[in-house]
Amino acid sequence: MIKLELPVVKFTAEQTEFRNTVREFLIEEKKRGAFESRCDSWLSGESVDFSRKLGQKGWIGMTWPKKYGGRERSALERYILTEELLTAGAPVAAHWFADRQTGPLFLKFGTEEQKNFFLPMITKGECFFSIGLSEPNAGSDLAAIKTKAERTDGGWLLNGSKIWTSGAHLSHYMIVLCRTSPFDPNNRHAGMSQLVVNMKAEGLTVRPIQFLTGQHHFNEVFFENVFVPDNRLIGIEGNGWKQGMAELAYERSGPERILSTYPLLDELIKILRENDDEEGMREAVSLLPELWTLRNMSMGVAKYLEEGHDVNMAAALVKELGTKFETSIAEKARLLLSQLPSIESAELINRFMAQSILHGPGFTLRGGTTEILRGIVAKGVVSQ
Amino acid sequence: MSDMLDMIIESSNRIFKDNCTKQLLDDAEDGNFAIDLWNIIAESGLSSIALPENKGGAGGDFIDAFNILKLAGKYGLPLPLAETLIAKWLGTELGFTFSNEPVTFSIQKDDNISFKMTGDGYSIAGEAKDVPWASAAKHILLLGKSNEKDVIAFVPLDNAKIIKGKNLAAEPRDHVIFPNILANGLSLREVNCIDISEKSIHLLALAKSAMIAGAAEKVLALSLFYANERQQFGRSLHRFQSIQQHIAVLTGETTACLTAANSAIYALQGGRYEKEIPLAKMKLSESAGVIAMAAHQLHGAIGMTYEHMLHHMTRRLWSWRDEAGNEAYWGKKLTKLIMKDKDSSLWEILTNDKQFTKVEE
Repeated sequence: MIKLELPVVKFTAEQTEFRNTVREFLIEEKKRGAFESRCDSWLSGESVDFSRKLGQKGWIGMTWPKKYGGRERSALERYILTEELLTAGAPVAAHWFADRQTGPLFLKFGTEEQKNFFLPMITKGECFFSIGLSEPNAGSDLAAIKTKAERTDGGWLLNGSKIWTSGAHLSHYMIVLCRTSPFDPNNRHAGMSQLVVNMKAEGLTVRPIQFLTGQHHFNEVFFENVFVPDNRLIGIEGNGWKQGMAELAYERSGPERILSTYPLLDELIKILRENDDEEGMREAVSLLPELWTLRNMSMGVAKYLEEGHDVNMAAALVKELGTKFETSIAEKARLLLSQLPSIESAELINRFMAQSILHGPGFTLRGGTTEILRGIVAKGVVSQ
Repeated sequence: MSDMLDMIIESSNRIFKDNCTKQLLDDAEDGNFAIDLWNIIAESGLSSIALPENKGGAGGDFIDAFNILKLAGKYGLPLPLAETLIAKWLGTELGFTFSNEPVTFSIQKDDNISFKMTGDGYSIAGEAKDVPWASAAKHILLLGKSNEKDVIAFVPLDNAKIIKGKNLAAEPRDHVIFPNILANGLSLREVNCIDISEKSIHLLALAKSAMIAGAAEKVLALSLFYANERQQFGRSLHRFQSIQQHIAVLTGETTACLTAANSAIYALQGGRYEKEIPLAKMKLSESAGVIAMAAHQLHGAIGMTYEHMLHHMTRRLWSWRDEAGNEAYWGKKLTKLIMKDKDSSLWEILTNDKQFTKVEE
């Protein structure tokens, strides 16, 4: 019989206290105008100052070893922090990828030199990363990537391009998945490696790609004979696919796969209560069982991750269900409010709605489309 | 959870798996009460779990009990295990004592049951609707009024008039009529009618939630088996992307069901249920329909035949989602709670420390 159960997570009194500390900090920051809440803030809310401030609080890379600038806090505390940042709609995009996956990648596969060099800068909120995966002809079929690195004196020469790279224009470095051996049709996932590429390197150009809102979040990045020194290979040459897949569990099961549009839901509930609209509230409340369940699932995966379980399928599940939920909030809100969503609106709720609707298609695409995730889940459960 | 959880789960799993055959489920639908299986269950202590041993129980806690009910759901156990457990938990607290026989309850504040003192006992009048397994139980824990006071009594069903009814899964849901029945030696316990009816429907909602989660596991297992075994166009069904979509939906919803049920079970054991049980029952009821439809679509026509096992599970899903409050019922309650809590944001309500305090393992 297949085993699908996830552990039930309980928070201790200390953890709840930590939640309150984070919450108070965010209320204060908002009050003094340090940021304006927005939906999908982990992709589109960038503030170098705010990231630096979180770094000063010890809230970037907070689970990492102290010797690399971390605070050795638990994964559940990081989970709490992340939830609070997202529900407050705080601008966390700049340091997001470094904190979520690049740091853990270095810790797992990096050399001592890499860890000493990169991790302390990341924790201070002074070093941002972007993730170079998709290419013009390799989207869902990631194994089709063509960007390649060839041996040269003292390192590699990188050629090719990456696309849809969020925050490449803000980041200092990029983790590039590339081919270091020719494509083998019989073993499509072999021969790939992960390189740390300095965004200031010669031969590297970043071209902005305008998002449908007109804003600038993602980019196309070109590499023309970009030199990457030997010591910037992560882990083992040829092991890039496997290493990258290990990252995905972090990427897919976190609270950002449930809470991207949460500020809208919170504001909606507030308005319905102010209007004493019980009928509307009943409609809005129908969203809560899904939210509550997903949150418990995501916390269960976080706990399993920390304990070292294989959570690939569970993480894919959380993302598949979570991102569908994220889009459902705006669909409910628009019917309950009958207002005009607009990015420019003076009313917060209308801005939240606009952000949720316009960013909506991305929720179920980024980090693996719903269709790809369902394939992973189905294959996983059939093979069990 | 108590230390014995693994052991209890293993032995319940064995008992249910060995006994809940297709034949047994078919026979139960024909109205044959599975008395032999009931006796095995009662003797093994499963029908008095989460009751202290000094009160005639088998010990253990809610986590043990609701995990057993999850298994009961998974195997479609055609017996009033949930009803007996809940009646015993509520009744024992009120000082009633129980034997090993199956028991049911009707604790609905809208039923008009009256207990009138006559000579040595009471005369009982009124009707209770949709009582689960009344036709199989010997006694019922019954809410009513006596001298304007709300009372609960443990009433023998011998002389009650029972009009048999059933839910979509042909589980007995009977209409019980007490046409001025005389019951001697009856003792009444005064209760707060709202408190006790709320408590009983919350417990039953969690029981149904656990059972839906178990049934979902079984539906997924049946679907995976079929998708492996059945060939069309020269390939196993699971090789088709369109079928993989159904499998993924079934897996996702089943995992969600298990998570929702488990979260509410742990919450109850930690003393919290006001938000968790409504949220869980809403989620489980919603998923029940999604799971049933996806599994039938995957199975094709064979799943709709009586000879197949699938319908025993899907008809239970369709029944249980409406029993002990459906999405609309609990949604209304939750709405009131949120409207009332004017000073808290939704996020505070979802995360306040009363909500997620430490659960002992």
